[in-house]
Amino acid sequence: MSASVNQVELAVNNRANPYNETHIQSLLSAFNRQCQTAPDNLAFIEGGRQFSYCQLRQRASQLSAGLLTRQKPCRRVVIAVDRGIDAAAAILAVLGAGACYIPLDIKNPAPRLNYIINDAHPQYIIGKGHCPDWLETPELWLDIEQLDCSQLSTCWPAEVSSEALAAILYTSGSTGVPKGVALSHRAMRNFSGWASNTFRISRNDRIASLAPFHFDLSVFDLFSSLSCGASVLFVPAGLTLSPSRLTAWLSEQRISVFYTVPSLLGFIALKGSLSSISLPDLKTVLFAGEVFPTQQLKKLCGLLPDVNFYNLYGPTETNVCCYWPVDRERLKSGQPIPIGYPACGAVLQIDDETNELAVKSASNLSGYWKQGQLINALTPDGYYHTGDKVSLNEQGEYCYHGRLDRMLKCSGYRVEPAEIESALLQCPEVINCAVIGIIDSACGQRPAAAVVLKNGAKLDTVVKSAKQKLPAYMQPCKYIELESLPYFSNGKTDYLKLRQQLEKN
Amino acid sequence: MKKKLRDFIFHELVFVAEPDQFSDDDDLLEAGLDSMGIMRLIMFIENEYGVTLPDTEIEPDNVQSFNALAHWILRHQNG
Repeated sequence: MSASVNQVELAVNNRANPYNETHIQSLLSAFNRQCQTAPDNLAFIEGGRQFSYCQLRQRASQLSAGLLTRQKPCRRVVIAVDRGIDAAAAILAVLGAGACYIPLDIKNPAPRLNYIINDAHPQYIIGKGHCPDWLETPELWLDIEQLDCSQLSTCWPAEVSSEALAAILYTSGSTGVPKGVALSHRAMRNFSGWASNTFRISRNDRIASLAPFHFDLSVFDLFSSLSCGASVLFVPAGLTLSPSRLTAWLSEQRISVFYTVPSLLGFIALKGSLSSISLPDLKTVLFAGEVFPTQQLKKLCGLLPDVNFYNLYGPTETNVCCYWPVDRERLKSGQPIPIGYPACGAVLQIDDETNELAVKSASNLSGYWKQGQLINALTPDGYYHTGDKVSLNEQGEYCYHGRLDRMLKCSGYRVEPAEIESALLQCPEVINCAVIGIIDSACGQRPAAAVVLKNGAKLDTVVKSAKQKLPAYMQPCKYIELESLPYFSNGKTDYLKLRQQLEKN
Repeated sequence: MKKKLRDFIFHELVFVAEPDQFSDDDDLLEAGLDSMGIMRLIMFIENEYGVTLPDTEIEPDNVQSFNALAHWILRHQNG
């Protein structure tokens, strides 16, 4: 598809949809206006550390200047700093310099991190402290503490085309390697603007940020908030293991908006002391990433009678394209909740034969980023095919019915079995393997692996090798050793039989 | 009790290729027990042992190892 056709279509889309503010160019323009009109409002709070809007703008623009005064023109910058004020300031600095940010989950194993870095072709990597030993390209490393540049950029944020890339979010790929979803300023602005409007975010809001920055939930936490003058409070790491401490934190910090995954909210409903700790300031809870079991949601709604809940749906490629304001009456039936109505001005289509959902939206990705190049991911008329099966019910709501392919959702993370299989096959002891998702009524899916080993090889070696290659949420929770994988006569893996074998053991 | 806990954790939550080599003091969180796993483990313990584990005691310290878990459950069985 040519760029000009795409722009014409978006312009048409804009007239129908007031949220498509493509005339605002940078994703940071609205933040920049807040810095002028409410400079002393608190932007970021992390433990005892805080930045007002004015301080954050100064810090980010200094870091931008630090990037721009370097020799290489800066187009893509990897952020290798853990979630928090420093990483968020680095993201604003990269965008403010007119470049695109690529957030890393630095807890990922080194081979995966190096793969992503090599695939992204960044000019720089912003980290904290000394360059780590695992990095294959140490010449790109910049210590955030050393980057500070005393001269301020005069024109900050840099002007960019709304089609310029703002972020590349790497997710699990069905070809066995991580896949970079490239998002423009237009796409991220369209989503964050829609969310600010729909959830009426204001300067009085205190938004809890828990999602790591490579996860698309963070687009709301960072940009819907900052464009409205709200405060972002970074949830301390470790609180997810202790739901009652998390509830206490939400209460003490007077959090008003929280966007997270259903598995964590389910844990809070079950053991989060919600009957003894009150959350009078909490008004909006958004969730996405996986199906919220209706019974758990009903319980949570019962414990938080004054909170508005919203089910948000959409793959990283479209960000949110459907949303459903939770109707408490409807939970009584125990039926699965719908994904609801089109969001962000999206146009939705359901394939007659496969029931696959296709999405046309100003929030759609620009393409997949692969080896330093943008690869088209949309049909000629601008639709993204999600691979999700959906239907439209009598009330005009869209309902989700699972995947057309093998993709899994584990704690909200997208996991492609092919990526796990590819990592397992790299272990010399493994002759063959197959990965499927084991479904758990309480908490979604978890990967499980069947492996065929060389004579005398030990499963232990395979498990250890997987731990060095895959992030924690991709580790199989179960392994079985088979003489051979079950196949159909046409040579395709018989996943149904495999499932029986994995569930039997 | 630890055998049942071991069976459940190694079967359902965290895969350890050689459970015999995983001692009762080894770190379960390091082995991969996460918040989702802790939630399922607590549901299992409450059903299996007829105890109610107070919300405020759900802390990394109490689920860190088999010894910590057993100690925690016993405290509630006797109390």
